Amino acid sequence: MRALSLHLKILISLLVVLGVSVTAYQIFVLGIPITEDVIDDLWNIEAKIEFQANPGVPVKLQMYVPPLDQDFVSLNESFISNNYGVSVNQVNGNRRVTWSARRANGKQTLYYRLVVTKRYSAEQSKPTGPVFREPIPIEGPEKIAVEALLSSIRQHSADIETFISEAIKRVNNHNDDNVKILLGGDTSIQNKARVIELILSMAHVPMERVHTIRLNADQPQTPELWLRSFNGNRWLFFNPQTGAQGLPNDRLIWWAGDEPLINLEGGRNPKVTFTLSSSELNAIRLAKMIDENTEANILKYSPLYDLPLQTQQLYQIILMIPVGVLVILILRNLIGIDTLGTFTPVLIALAFRETQISYGIILFTLITALGLALRSYLEHLKLQMLPRLSVVLTFVVALIATISLFSHKLGLERGLSVSLFPMVILTMTIERLSITWEERGGGHAFKVGIGTLIAASLAYLLMNIRELAYFIFTFPSVLLLIVAFMLAMGRYRGYRLTELFRFKALAKD
Amino acid sequence: MFGLIETWRALEAKGVMGINRRNADYVLMYNERSLYPLVDDKILTKQRAIEAGILVPEMYGVIETEKDIEKLQDIVKDHQDFVIKPAQGAGGDGILVIAGRFEGHYKTVSGKILTHEEIEHHISNILTGLYSLGGHRDRALIEYRVKPDPIFKSISYEGVPDIRIIVLMGYPLMAMLRLPTRQSGGKANLHQGAIGVGVDLATGITLGGTWHNKKITKHPDTNNAVNGIRLPSWSGFMRLAADAYHLCNLGYIGVDMVLDQNKGPLILELNARPGLNIQIANNCGLLPRARAVERHLETLREKGIQETVEERVRFSQERFGHVTSHD
Repeated sequence: MRALSLHLKILISLLVVLGVSVTAYQIFVLGIPITEDVIDDLWNIEAKIEFQANPGVPVKLQMYVPPLDQDFVSLNESFISNNYGVSVNQVNGNRRVTWSARRANGKQTLYYRLVVTKRYSAEQSKPTGPVFREPIPIEGPEKIAVEALLSSIRQHSADIETFISEAIKRVNNHNDDNVKILLGGDTSIQNKARVIELILSMAHVPMERVHTIRLNADQPQTPELWLRSFNGNRWLFFNPQTGAQGLPNDRLIWWAGDEPLINLEGGRNPKVTFTLSSSELNAIRLAKMIDENTEANILKYSPLYDLPLQTQQLYQIILMIPVGVLVILILRNLIGIDTLGTFTPVLIALAFRETQISYGIILFTLITALGLALRSYLEHLKLQMLPRLSVVLTFVVALIATISLFSHKLGLERGLSVSLFPMVILTMTIERLSITWEERGGGHAFKVGIGTLIAASLAYLLMNIRELAYFIFTFPSVLLLIVAFMLAMGRYRGYRLTELFRFKALAKD
Repeated sequence: MFGLIETWRALEAKGVMGINRRNADYVLMYNERSLYPLVDDKILTKQRAIEAGILVPEMYGVIETEKDIEKLQDIVKDHQDFVIKPAQGAGGDGILVIAGRFEGHYKTVSGKILTHEEIEHHISNILTGLYSLGGHRDRALIEYRVKPDPIFKSISYEGVPDIRIIVLMGYPLMAMLRLPTRQSGGKANLHQGAIGVGVDLATGITLGGTWHNKKITKHPDTNNAVNGIRLPSWSGFMRLAADAYHLCNLGYIGVDMVLDQNKGPLILELNARPGLNIQIANNCGLLPRARAVERHLETLREKGIQETVEERVRFSQERFGHVTSHD
């Protein structure tokens, strides 16, 4: 007995832990949205390249485009040009597109378009980068200035991260004489980056420039310079103006290195303008889109999305059946309402889906009442049970057909909605109610009938909550939690609500 | 809401057993499902009882097939009165009580005259499953007609009152006298409106009653007080109930018995899921008593003792008997 309840407790906790952790994994790690209405930003980035082609010579334009192995998932990428050959290749961890044409005349316009989103970004491969570098050779006063700065920076820092951060802050302090010497009067961000690199190289700390685009649709964007250094484990990003560490979430890395964005041969006056716009997309549709466009398979963790669409819709309903059963369980064992078995009310609830609830209740009551009235008339004929039931069921079928016919004549389309499934359920219900009537009497049958109707309506209402249906369909491991609750209910020994009324006389003394 | 919590507490304090607890801790724990057919089929129960020497209404015969119906003449030729029952009937349906003969015809209790053909038709109906649970084919049982002891005349309306004792592992827990009313149509079934009257286990004296979940003190039809009546042969009932455990090996049962004016206490049938309203009739919860028996069994098991019927009855009477009537 005790061993049994320990066994049960372990089983229940196992199911709960499993259910919760799988669901949590889907929600928090895979980022599958909790409701169907979760929408996500989708960024459309367009780079427009304009230049004047030199007549009579071949044109070759190279431009860096964002690498695809970052926190963003690329959904669509396109290169739009007239009469240009396009090729994309990897260069030192960057991606570069090359447009080339035998000859071109006058003003040229090329477009690069990219659609990215942040959700469902795949697991990042482990980044690698240099952890050591040779110092850049320098001489004279500059060397002295760097060494002076270095010793002071070392005093104010504890590790590479704080060291870089401190170096950036120093370089941005224009009142420092050493910095003035190194900057030589040029306070542009490029020059600062050069000086920072110089200082860091003396300390053997590698540093790299990265150029990012800010995902902001409100203002025109140009590539923004950031500095990064590899600490042996991951890249550390620094703002070259402030020394603040960490790349904000809305920055998309375009390319890394010292080279300019574009490189043009056979043309002049190249100009790149970035246009960004964001659109919103339902997260589940987004996931499907990513699955289609990339090799990623986010939704494999919600296995039911693999099914054909029609089957999916069916399973959205089928997966709600345990919820309906749960309602019946609670109504029967906690509340104490009598129903016709466990599954019949759930089946009636499913039938209500097809007839709509209000019409379903009316139909159910009407047909059941007439069916039972016939049954009690047949009782006077002293027929045997099976022939009597057969007559009742035939009558029910005829009755349903009549109702359909009448409502059709009256122009009520609802009446025709009684399809095969609800009809089977109805006849089955009447059969079971009749048997209950035989065994326990009419009063009891009436009580059970009402109880069944209440249970079915409640189950219907719960099973038709769209959010719930979505949730269980997307996170089927929730069913484990339901099973755990059902198992726990199997050992519930407390009173049922109706028993509190039944035994009320005993409570009074 | 607050009232409900108070009711809950009061019921818990009194040890009232609810359906969930009865099912989980008693019916599921002590009653093996495979043994249910034994108590669901009155013929099987009766055969077992006869083999074990337990008192039941005498079985005159069993009719299993349509062809067997011819044997009816033979079976009842020595008996002026008898009862025909479906073996697996529920709620008293299909029971035909023949009180006597008249000019080659049969006479029911209410004085209706039936021909032999009508009785054969009734048996045929029983065989096809007209009265059985779920409409299965059934058997007809022909047995001795119980003549209720006249002591019940004043507090009963028609029908035969019966005595139910709930027994846990052979230890009687609680007893109730069930009296038919006009509303119950002469049936001793509490669902159908019969009244239940608690009985003191030690003395066999009736306590207060219950009718439709309420506490009552008078019979609704005769208006006579139901309490304070001493049931004759009480120790016989107790022994019979305690013995019934060996009959079916079900640990938690309701034993339904009748008091025949000639033969004394007889077992009518056994119930593997006895109802809980007996608690209202006795104004007492079943749980403390069930737990006392379980503790007692535990100590006995440690000592390796098995108690006899007499010892079990004595235990129950000493522990649960001598309660005073409530009113």
